[in-house]
Amino acid sequence: MLAIAAVMLYPFWVMIVTSLKSEQQFLSGGGFSWLSWHDLTSVIPVGQEILSSTIVCSASILVILVVGLPAGFAFSKLRFRASTAVFLIMVSAMMVPLQAILMPEFVNVTRLHLTGGYAGAILVYAALGTPFSVFLFTTYFRGVPDELIEAGIVDGLGYFGALWRLIVPIAIPAIATVTVLQFIQIWDDLLVGLLFIQNTNERPITVGLAVLAAGRTTSIPELMAGSLISAVPAMVVYLIFQRYLVKGLTMGIDR
Amino acid sequence: MAEIDFDGVTKVFGAGPPAVDGLTLHVNEGEFMVLVGPSGCGKTTALRMLAGLEEISSGTLRIGGVVVNNTLPKDRDVAMVFQNYALYPNMSVERNIGFALKIRGDSKSEIKRKVDEAAAILHLEDYLERRPKALSGGQRQRVAMGRAIVRNPRAFLMDEPLSNLDAKLRVEMRLEIARIQRLLGVATVYVTHDQVEAMTMGDRVAVMRDGKLQQVDTPQDLYDRPANEFVAGFMGSPPMNLIRCRVRAGEDRVEVVFGDQVVELPWNYTTSHALPPSGVDVVVGVRPEDVIVADASSTNTIKARVERREALGSEILVHLSHLDVTVGAEAGAGGDARVSTLVAKMGPRSNVSVGDVLSVQISPEHAHFFDAVTGATLKEK
Repeated sequence: MLAIAAVMLYPFWVMIVTSLKSEQQFLSGGGFSWLSWHDLTSVIPVGQEILSSTIVCSASILVILVVGLPAGFAFSKLRFRASTAVFLIMVSAMMVPLQAILMPEFVNVTRLHLTGGYAGAILVYAALGTPFSVFLFTTYFRGVPDELIEAGIVDGLGYFGALWRLIVPIAIPAIATVTVLQFIQIWDDLLVGLLFIQNTNERPITVGLAVLAAGRTTSIPELMAGSLISAVPAMVVYLIFQRYLVKGLTMGIDR
Repeated sequence: MAEIDFDGVTKVFGAGPPAVDGLTLHVNEGEFMVLVGPSGCGKTTALRMLAGLEEISSGTLRIGGVVVNNTLPKDRDVAMVFQNYALYPNMSVERNIGFALKIRGDSKSEIKRKVDEAAAILHLEDYLERRPKALSGGQRQRVAMGRAIVRNPRAFLMDEPLSNLDAKLRVEMRLEIARIQRLLGVATVYVTHDQVEAMTMGDRVAVMRDGKLQQVDTPQDLYDRPANEFVAGFMGSPPMNLIRCRVRAGEDRVEVVFGDQVVELPWNYTTSHALPPSGVDVVVGVRPEDVIVADASSTNTIKARVERREALGSEILVHLSHLDVTVGAEAGAGGDARVSTLVAKMGPRSNVSVGDVLSVQISPEHAHFFDAVTGATLKEK
């Protein structure tokens, strides 16, 4: 375990140590300086980019949850024609790689005139993340006794009321799982942000780092500082929700 | 409070046979009606149709005289207790009990008053702040009851609410539910597969089989006057002994041949029954308590060997096998016995051991006779 932990943590150690050097100190191999952190904020608008990433991530996850929760509820608890077939088609979308549909997506989003700001990226991220969330919520809700929903309905709730007031509160592990996994995926993604967010003042942090790395000269300490800033939010989100992750991922599997 | 009427109610799932087939049943205001039957008999489906959780394929369902076939569950004003309690795990006991009132829009003070009342009836005052997972099975069951009674509904629907409890707690809760139902006087439909629950709790009991209603009657009448062979075998523990015999009719009397014993039917039987002609098979039903051990010297008895002895404390159940290989076969082929063993109920101090050979008699006054083909009782014309 210690060896595995060392392998996993070593890159972070390198990032931290490298980011705390100036360009000269990095090349000479010794010393300590905050210069790269200072320079980073003057080269790229880190604060704005983190805010953009946060907006895109939050809005995409919100759409994924708003669509995935009722869909999972419907597939697991309601009886309707061809539900299994629709479910399989939807879940099979998980198998389609982003790269395979990127260009058609780009054409569609361009036709909708949504490639300038956040909207296009949010739409694409939501479309890519929804199949997984539907799959996870369906599996999770299958483990919830039907009687719980029926009790709510006899008590006076409708299906949406039962979903919102009874199911969502006990689906926190599944919601946390979807949130964490989608957050990490969207936060770390470069391609969609690069293609669909064309306003430079709305670009996410990953695009900002790519710009940093693509300059004529690349300052490795600045890049490490930027990478560290980029990695921290995903780690924080993971640490907040990690106690729900295992439960969210495994519930329903043992049925 | 309201009456409940099932009028030819049928439920069909897909292309299969009806789960409930033309159920016609009236539940009086304040009555405790038990639906009982084996698994798959349609009792739970009938209850779910009453709750509005299943659509009705055909027929009419009324609550308080109003047709509710297409009424949403929330508008039926019925409360349901589920087999696994279905308590809301994210809410405290207090919120669980008051949830329906909150949805209904009652004021906070009104909800508090009603929840406190229900908690007092159910002895739950000390547990109101707890979550369901911190309660025992019996306490959870009481919370489920509380959730139902707090609404003061027109009817209670209970779907095997005691089946997850241990035997001792089940007996306690049986009494508790019956007490609360009588206290509130609300029409109750209670589903169970346990005939002891049915007998002890119901004002009347409806026995179902394969989606069809077999008989509705008071528990004692069901026991004493079963409408058919199925009801006779289902109600009572241990169940009634059912033996196929052949009728022998003379000029002035009717007998059935049961091994070496010829049972002459009592005079009131011959005047009140649809008598089958001589040579026709009937099924004779005898309750274990009506199998009597006779003196060895007695005539007109059945010789039987004790195969098994179950001492229950207050009584002994004795499983007997016939020594008469021609049981019921006197009149030839087709008169073979339906069962080869008899169960007799004896006093706790009966001196009976496995391997003993006993002479037993069945009491004709307490015997039941059923049509061997349809299973219907022959008792009433």
